[in-house]
Amino acid sequence: MPAPQHPPRPQTARPAASAASPASAASPASKGARRTRRPAERQPSLDDPRIMLDRQISSDLYEPIPPYPTRTEREAEFYTLGDGEMFLNVGPHHPATHGVLRLVLKLSGEQIVDVDPVLGYLHRGVEKICENSDYYHVIDQVDPLEYLSSLFQEWPAVLSFEKLMDVEVPRRAEYIRVLSGELLRISSHILYMGFLALDLGGLTPILYGFIERDEIVEMLAALTGARMLFNYFRIGGVNGDLNHEFMSRLGDWMSRAGRQTEANAGLLNENEIFVRRMRGVGTLDRATALSYGVTGGNLRASGVPFDVRRAHPYSIYPELEFNIPTRDEGDSLARYLIRVDEIRESLKIIDQCLHNMPDGPVMAKLPRLLRPRPGRAWGAVEGPRGMLGVYAISDGSDQPFRFRIHDPSFVNLETVTTLLPGHLLADTMAVVASLDPVMGGIDK
Amino acid sequence: MDRSLRSRLEARLGDYLRAPVYQRNDETEIRIDPGAVPEVLRLLHDSVDLRFEILADLAGVDTGEVMQVVYHLWSPMSFDWLRIVADGLSRDDPRAPSATFLWIGAEWLEREAYDMFGIIFEGNRDLRRIFMPPDYTSFPLRKDFLLPDDAARSPGGGVRHVERTHAPATLADDPKAGIRRAPVS
Amino acid sequence: MAVVDRGSKGRAAAAKATPAGAKAAGNRQVVAVTPGQLAAPIIVPNTLWQSSNPLAYDGGRPTDVTHLREFGQTDAGRNDAVRWGALQVIPTNADYILDLIRANSLWPLLSGLACCAFEMMSAATSKNDMDRWGMFPFRASPRQADVLIVAGTLTTKMSGPLVRLWEQMPEPKWCVALGDCTVSGGRYKRSYSVVQGIDRVMPVDVYIPGCPPRPEGLIYGMLQLGQLVKDRRGHWNEREIGPTVPDDI
Repeated sequence: MPAPQHPPRPQTARPAASAASPASAASPASKGARRTRRPAERQPSLDDPRIMLDRQISSDLYEPIPPYPTRTEREAEFYTLGDGEMFLNVGPHHPATHGVLRLVLKLSGEQIVDVDPVLGYLHRGVEKICENSDYYHVIDQVDPLEYLSSLFQEWPAVLSFEKLMDVEVPRRAEYIRVLSGELLRISSHILYMGFLALDLGGLTPILYGFIERDEIVEMLAALTGARMLFNYFRIGGVNGDLNHEFMSRLGDWMSRAGRQTEANAGLLNENEIFVRRMRGVGTLDRATALSYGVTGGNLRASGVPFDVRRAHPYSIYPELEFNIPTRDEGDSLARYLIRVDEIRESLKIIDQCLHNMPDGPVMAKLPRLLRPRPGRAWGAVEGPRGMLGVYAISDGSDQPFRFRIHDPSFVNLETVTTLLPGHLLADTMAVVASLDPVMGGIDK
Repeated sequence: MDRSLRSRLEARLGDYLRAPVYQRNDETEIRIDPGAVPEVLRLLHDSVDLRFEILADLAGVDTGEVMQVVYHLWSPMSFDWLRIVADGLSRDDPRAPSATFLWIGAEWLEREAYDMFGIIFEGNRDLRRIFMPPDYTSFPLRKDFLLPDDAARSPGGGVRHVERTHAPATLADDPKAGIRRAPVS
Repeated sequence: MAVVDRGSKGRAAAAKATPAGAKAAGNRQVVAVTPGQLAAPIIVPNTLWQSSNPLAYDGGRPTDVTHLREFGQTDAGRNDAVRWGALQVIPTNADYILDLIRANSLWPLLSGLACCAFEMMSAATSKNDMDRWGMFPFRASPRQADVLIVAGTLTTKMSGPLVRLWEQMPEPKWCVALGDCTVSGGRYKRSYSVVQGIDRVMPVDVYIPGCPPRPEGLIYGMLQLGQLVKDRRGHWNEREIGPTVPDDI
């Protein structure tokens, strides 16, 4: 049978990458048998002024975007400039700290006409690695996807494995999962507020946010052993009970948490510059949000009260009392205010967990070598950014056959192609930051 | 385990189902032909008693023998997650209809399935690579793309100079050579 | 940069400090320690890395001390003393002073790619303040930065832009590899799209392992970098860059 007829391959034109070729390592060493790679011995870089003088500033110096003939309808439509339009590349390296996201903006003056997000600068091949690791290692591999909320990455993986293996989780373990998860949700939302302000130019809330985040992360380090990539959830429970240090730090923090979050939110809620830059910007209406598959706070800001904790409850959420904040406007300010409300709800949940914490084991008894029966399972949880899902296929061996991770930031970011056109360049950051993308999860 | 959902699905989609509706825990699974995907999705989305309006996931699966496209949907009318397995795409020329007519968000999800597996979604206006660089030649999540301890030795890997550190070994040397096949399912 | 080796001395010291019965998993008791009772710091001999330049570190090894407090009191930590040899004074006077200046105000380039970026930001914010050593302004533009702290996994797609950033930085410039992914590929050792350590594409001065390293670890690495800057005494071009990666790895 003939090879798959995928679109024709473009030409490779990457002078920047080839300049770093290790082929120059074979150059003669000047000082004895030295095997270091000397940067000065490579071919001169594009930024050498001698090169600029010799060559015309033509299209072969600055490669056209994209540097290959366009292949799809949408690409052709995007990369054709109309009258008075220009491209602006908000490149993979930029100070808005959502990670390595590249937005190619088509501008007409300062107004954005179209946007083409380019992903993949952090694609680490996690799904493939997970297919080659056993079930315990998968939990560890899946942590750095949304590194700000690592436990929420492990949770659907563990849920789907528990469905595959029909494992029942002890109640105390469920309470600890919810407790640590809600703590991490608060930390993620506080950082969200901080980065949102940072992208709009406010340098103070991020510092306040990092103080809170440091405290939360230190208490989770007392519980799990690590500050960021926790590797704490296990199939059938969690990896270790609550301990004295965690409880004392938690108690300390909870005594100030309510007032502190109100103070942090108060920095921004009534700030006129912030509100006017965010109100009415990036309005996502209900039908568009549903058709994009957006989940999480972004969907609830557009009027759809879909929260996986209520729509398809897992763990002990049916027993907990909390509200789901929903707003109708769908603009960036609504998305921000929803996160602030969610922090308050999470504090309520943590209170309830602490009051109702049962005794018992924290992990079900499982064999060391896990071999589930062949089957398929889907598990989904509500993370800080939306619904995180894992589709796991098992073939009876000790490695998952297919481990598919559905990340909420991936679909959330897709809305940028509809939200941005029509706004000004300065609103780019407001919209992108209000969607709360984390590139680790988007790029897997 | 939603029994009423099963009967509603069988009533609505009777002809399209290629296997009995399979229910386990809190998931319901149906299997259809890839060509029937647009009609089935449209029926599921628009029917008043089904109303599967939220697309939770769109994934590609390579079972070693065939390829599949797996959709996960959610509806406010039922507690279960619905999984739709469009089974039977050939590994040599996998083609499936696109779901972008119904959910715009499927565009990027299908781009990801194309990038990882090579599944061509007909009707997707923007089917190009999303994670790998645009001039990458392999499809990483296929089962014949091996991931030995050094990616440079994989027959599909080492495309870029930074991955290639020595000449690729032959498949004969590699202990994990050979396509891993899914069990009967 | 140093693997903590729980040698016999360390184990004995640790066993004396914890009371019996505190062995239950997850139930570490917090033992109140008065300042006079602090155990001696663990001294880890640096056996992993040795400079390939026989003249570096006076022909010996880098110092054995890894604890910051003691480091500052040793000769290695007080290396600002000028050695008045003739050959060192004559050609490199100005560069020597400039190196002192540079070491105390290294401006990093914001190159946060993934999770380690958050530990880098945590090191820069209030609780662990890098501004104490002059490193607060994280420049967004490579033209204004001294140090490229690569924090986060480098993928093959990103390697092009990152090398371009490195080339755009004006000399003298240094590079710090933060986190396991940049040191050696880390947990993505088998991945098809991760560069197995950034020293495959750019010269690295300081490696900071950890996944992610604690902010204190980053601060320690930056202080080591400052020390390296002062050590080289202006000979920036001939500096030794990192452990070399053999061709067959």
